[in-house]
Amino acid sequence: MDFKESGFMYLLGSGMVVFILLQSLFFMKKAWGQGKKLGIKVSTLKNTVVSSVLFTIAPALAILVTVITIAGALGLVLPWIRLSIIGNIGYEVTAAQSTLEAFGIPGGLNFEVKDKTVFAAAAWVMTVGSVMPLILLPLFLKKIQKRVGKAVNANAKWADLMSAAAFIGLIAAFIARSVIGAGEKDIAGDGAGFLSIATLLSAMLFMLVLQRLSKKPKLKWLEPFAMPLSMFLAMGVTTVLTLPQDIINLEWRG
Amino acid sequence: MGGTYFDKVHRWGKISSLTSLAVMLSIPLAICVYFDVWPQASVVLNGLLKVIPLFWSVAVIEVITYAPMLGAGGTYLSFVTGNISNLKLPCGLNAMQNADVRANSEEGEVISTIAIAASAITTTIIIALGVLLFSPLLPLLTKEGSLFAPAFQQVIPALFGALGAGYFAKHWKISVLPIAFGIVVLVFAPAFPVGTLIFVTVAVSLLGAHMMYKKKIV
Repeated sequence: MDFKESGFMYLLGSGMVVFILLQSLFFMKKAWGQGKKLGIKVSTLKNTVVSSVLFTIAPALAILVTVITIAGALGLVLPWIRLSIIGNIGYEVTAAQSTLEAFGIPGGLNFEVKDKTVFAAAAWVMTVGSVMPLILLPLFLKKIQKRVGKAVNANAKWADLMSAAAFIGLIAAFIARSVIGAGEKDIAGDGAGFLSIATLLSAMLFMLVLQRLSKKPKLKWLEPFAMPLSMFLAMGVTTVLTLPQDIINLEWRG
Repeated sequence: MGGTYFDKVHRWGKISSLTSLAVMLSIPLAICVYFDVWPQASVVLNGLLKVIPLFWSVAVIEVITYAPMLGAGGTYLSFVTGNISNLKLPCGLNAMQNADVRANSEEGEVISTIAIAASAITTTIIIALGVLLFSPLLPLLTKEGSLFAPAFQQVIPALFGALGAGYFAKHWKISVLPIAFGIVVLVFAPAFPVGTLIFVTVAVSLLGAHMMYKKKIV
């Protein structure tokens, strides 16, 4: 067990869990009290909790899966922490990758991070990259809420489009790289090539299929799992494609 | 301490946001202190400069877009735990619909907060348990030479392929330009660093989407 999964890291993670739980319970308790004052039935309040818990189980498992996928490079604990506090897999991966590049590390997140300094730097970039909302909210939320209704309704479509466009821009860079980017010349497997394109296309294909399937009434539960499942299946395709090499190697060694 | 519930929620929200900020920043700080490693500020900054323009602008857009839908308590809580558009937001909206309350009403505020708190608790517990239960298995999967090592080396195409397909299916018109642009850049400069490439593709994507919006193509 290396430093990325040391007792210390788990301690940090546990602290974070306690913090989030306490904060959530605090807000829930206050809202509950206010709800009763407003005359909302207790049964309604209870139902809200139950339905939200049930609603969350699948997406939470999906997020867990994404934590595991980057655990190869960053260990289990840092992704766990980052994806639990303002986390979003696309952003965290981007931030980590950007850090590794700043260190001139070939291969980026495709390989395990073994250097503590690099690890620490990745933690900083992933964290600072994501903090903005926590600065904006205390400063502006009350004002925003006061004048919000009209402005956003008029431009909601544009705002949605811009958010989607920003995210698409981000994804486009990685896709372009998987199609035609160069990795380090000394490292086999990190530049674009057959494997990366095969993986990319498989992931896209699986995703489109799973999304289609999840629109069927009996398969609605599939929806939050579509993305991580597609990822895993695509990685499965990679494994299958590299099997012949493993088999050949086995024979040679034997 | 007086004031309406609205005032109080904002007060607690401000306190909780600032404490969350402190907790967040203390993680990388604790890592540095405990392992006694202090990465050069210039390198960290280098990494940051590539992501901040994108992340921080999206943060502004998200705050403005989601706040009206989630109410005050819901917004403060959502942003601490993240995964808003894919989890907290639909969860909050679903709860308000089930309880038959309007999003911007006092009742909506209460229901949304409770729903998101429940969601945050559930997510946190599930991920924590999952990590603890999974940890003995991880080395088996990722060590060099294991059957699965190549798969873990293709995480990026797998992840962004899956993520992308979802977005492209819905927004294919605005997706073509940034991808094409990214590919063209890499044709001429194959080793163009991804951080800077993101800058470029995001800018192209935003400009393209905005123009298409104005011309009513989207």
